[in-house]
Amino acid sequence: MISRKTLSVAVLSAGTMLAAPVAHAEQIVLKFWDNQQTESGLSVFQQEAVKRFEEENPDIKVEVTTIPYPEYQQRLLTAVQAGNGPDVSTVDQIWNAAFAEAGAILSLDDMIEGTSISGDAFFPGAWESANYNGNLWGVPFNVDVWFFAFVNKDLFEEAGVDPATISTWEGLEAAAPKLTDPATGRYAIGLTGNKSEYPVVMTNSLIYSNGGTVLDENGKCALTQPEAIEALEYYKRMAEYAPAGILNAPNEPMRELFLNGTLAIELWPALEQPALEKSEIDWDVYAGFAPEGKTAVGTFGGWNLVVYKGTEHQEAALKFVEFMTREDVNGDVVDLIPANVNAASTFLQENRAKPDMMLEHLNNAKPRPLSTQYLQVSEIQQNMVQNFLSGSASVSDAAAAACAAIDGL
Amino acid sequence: MRSSKRNSELWIAFGFMMPAAILVSVLMYWPMVDTFRESLFASSFINPTPEYVGFETYRRILADPVFWQILRNSVVWTMGVVLLQNVVGFFIALLLNQQLPGQGILRSLVLLPWVLPGVVVAILWRFMYDPQLGLVNSFLMRFGAIDRGIGWLAEPSIAMAAVIFVAFWKGFPFSTVIFLAALQNVDKEQIEAAKVDGAGPVRRLIDVVIPAIAPVAAVNVLLTTILTFNYFDIIYVLTRGGPLNKTAIFPTRIYEVGFGQFRFGEAAAYGTISVLVLVLVVASLMMFRFFGYKEVRS
Amino acid sequence: MTRHAKRLRIAGLSVLQIVVAALVLLPFFWMLSVSFKPATEAFAIPAELWPRNPTLENYVLALRPEFRRYFLNSMIVSGATLAITIPLGLLAAYSLSRFQYRILSVFLAMVVLAQFFPAGAMIIPIYKIVRSAGLLDTYASLIIAYITVTLPVAIWMMRGFLMRVPRTLEEAAAIDGASPLRAFVDIVIPLARPGIVATSVFVLIVTWQEFLFALSFTSSKEMRTLPVGMNDYIGQYGVRYGELMASSVMISVPVIAVFFFLQRQFVAGLTAGAVKG
Repeated sequence: MISRKTLSVAVLSAGTMLAAPVAHAEQIVLKFWDNQQTESGLSVFQQEAVKRFEEENPDIKVEVTTIPYPEYQQRLLTAVQAGNGPDVSTVDQIWNAAFAEAGAILSLDDMIEGTSISGDAFFPGAWESANYNGNLWGVPFNVDVWFFAFVNKDLFEEAGVDPATISTWEGLEAAAPKLTDPATGRYAIGLTGNKSEYPVVMTNSLIYSNGGTVLDENGKCALTQPEAIEALEYYKRMAEYAPAGILNAPNEPMRELFLNGTLAIELWPALEQPALEKSEIDWDVYAGFAPEGKTAVGTFGGWNLVVYKGTEHQEAALKFVEFMTREDVNGDVVDLIPANVNAASTFLQENRAKPDMMLEHLNNAKPRPLSTQYLQVSEIQQNMVQNFLSGSASVSDAAAAACAAIDGL
Repeated sequence: MRSSKRNSELWIAFGFMMPAAILVSVLMYWPMVDTFRESLFASSFINPTPEYVGFETYRRILADPVFWQILRNSVVWTMGVVLLQNVVGFFIALLLNQQLPGQGILRSLVLLPWVLPGVVVAILWRFMYDPQLGLVNSFLMRFGAIDRGIGWLAEPSIAMAAVIFVAFWKGFPFSTVIFLAALQNVDKEQIEAAKVDGAGPVRRLIDVVIPAIAPVAAVNVLLTTILTFNYFDIIYVLTRGGPLNKTAIFPTRIYEVGFGQFRFGEAAAYGTISVLVLVLVVASLMMFRFFGYKEVRS
Repeated sequence: MTRHAKRLRIAGLSVLQIVVAALVLLPFFWMLSVSFKPATEAFAIPAELWPRNPTLENYVLALRPEFRRYFLNSMIVSGATLAITIPLGLLAAYSLSRFQYRILSVFLAMVVLAQFFPAGAMIIPIYKIVRSAGLLDTYASLIIAYITVTLPVAIWMMRGFLMRVPRTLEEAAAIDGASPLRAFVDIVIPLARPGIVATSVFVLIVTWQEFLFALSFTSSKEMRTLPVGMNDYIGQYGVRYGELMASSVMISVPVIAVFFFLQRQFVAGLTAGAVKG
């Protein structure tokens, strides 16, 4: 079975792709799936790391499948649902609980004993996202934070505003009108409000920064708490200074506007930096914004490595997970920031502006609700944001409706 | 002798039909039956051993205001695209049927939108519609029609019209070509006769041309209705059903619930309902066609 | 009509011609334009229809080995689908156009009703069938799925056409001792040629664009088709519009070329055939 599959892969790739070496009969073949999130040549880096892994473990061969981000969710879900998934894959933090509940992946608590995998090696928010119902269901692979605030220094100078003032809500609110002029196509801040995860992570970050939360300890909706309402009101007020068309705005056009020099503040994970370095924009970066006297708290994003129940090679799979999250490897195989703190620290020092600020923002970031029904919670939050941004409901009414829906799940 | 001829006829009638029937049964009917069966279970990704709940999921869907919004949207979307596509498509066919210079090239050009893949059309138009970066606003601003960018896909009151326009743009060439073919089949002598009787161009259109192509128009409308109702790519790429669910239709909802939220049972129920809705839509169209014929005859 | 009025009429209609051409061509031209623009220019405000510093860079980048592979895959899948759909469809259409058994109308209704089914809800059941047949990630899975999609329309189009081929010719052949099959091959098929061409063009266009099945049944990079391959340019954190548009142009070229050469026959085929619905 395995050899037939390998053979067909080899035959298929013979033409134009890298020819896959035919595996020896006694070799274990691990199927690993990941998705490509940025323009980087991720699959090339991963191939190199995989070669290293195969040298360290000559009896294991890893077949890497790199899937474009927009189709990853459907492909992975279809394959897993039909019992045809890979041995190891990345899953979005927000899917981890659902995959655990579905019985699709293995609980790793017993398995990691005797390996180098342990919670203190990873960012707390990331490790938390891999835990569900008191068990560990994955190992953090990569992380990033929604959001860092990238600023266009020239636009701030033109408007006579000091970019450092935007790190408080009050400062940003005072600066925003000066940075906005629809007649010349200038806008202060790239906010989103379309049907996607973007408005959720953006509003979450404001809520967290104001000391609020989405679900409280009992799993009840906390969006009607004053901290959350204030944050949502603030988002709504700031939307006045965002580019037109916010209700269908994902992040992508905001980035293009920042890169063409008409948007003063871009909210984006740290991974934006390489694109900015290639551009002619004179930029700087800050760790989000918080009300005066509070600390900005970001929303965690990222991917965990999971091992599927259907795998026949549990041990090999875990070995691979351990390898990919190791301090000396993790930084070479991710698109985002390594989830391994030491690897991340090295990575940030080498690759990012203000590495200490970024590390701190990563350390205090909070994950999104760890619920098996997170995706429904998220849809309700998306509707809530659209409701109050469009003016079809006040912020408090929209939040009350959202809480009724979330608590009714 | 007679019976052997009948036998061979039977053999041809069924034998020729069989491969198509088997394929459609295995790859369309069986999955549809499976989908229906799935809809009777409380099945979702997080519930690997779902219990039988009968029509409970249907009851829940029907009680959800979102369902009624989607139903309304689906009807508006389908009717909007079908009407625009066929009415405008018909008039463009009339134009292309005239003796004019440059017609040959125009007849080929008009087909361009139809041959572009749907995903490409959608990405192209998302860019065209972009409030800041798009060509549509840039043009309107240049000609002074507007003074600041409009979010075509972001305004809850315009978004549906904007997505309908894109589907129309992609789909009208098909209607035009079929109408063009039908127009070329209209009996020239009848038109000449009407001319002799003193009928102007509008009269000739109403009295001769439209009755002659009515059957083609009916088939065209039916076909585009079915295709449009189930058309997924354009809305999914342009708006994902937003803003405020104003552009959510059955196919986008099914995908969103199933693959976006891992709730397969509910997606299956939505799928089953969507078939019933489409059957109703098509049935009412056929009634309309039937009455239409009666009128023409009397 | 006076000469003056005639001229006025032609002028008016020519204006309409230009309006129609603009409606069709402007978006298409914009796509071409973006594909020739360097990245910085594609997102300039205000948007310009004409590239200022045209470059071939996007095309060079887009013509990766993967793209060539996807192209080949699309050709193979579309070609094979065509090669199977047309004969199968022709047989079924012939049966439907010549015989009046009730069961045949049931078949026809069944085929039409299948068009009502929502593909999105059926992906996982179909995936399971394809998987149990051991066909995941193969050309065969796509070819079979595409035949299912195109066959009903092909049957419908060719049936309309065959109904116009007079029966008397086959009856004459039968009297001359030809078997029904012989009569079908020697007489009906040659007469049905324009209808076959029209249907083929239709089938090609539909399969060349298909996205959902191609996405669902293939997993390896080696098996992706062109429309699915477009996703390579769309990351979670970045869309490469220039290359995306350059690839879109290149995807469209073959279909446009086929259409350009077969346009006359396509319209003629429709005139003679499907129109009779």
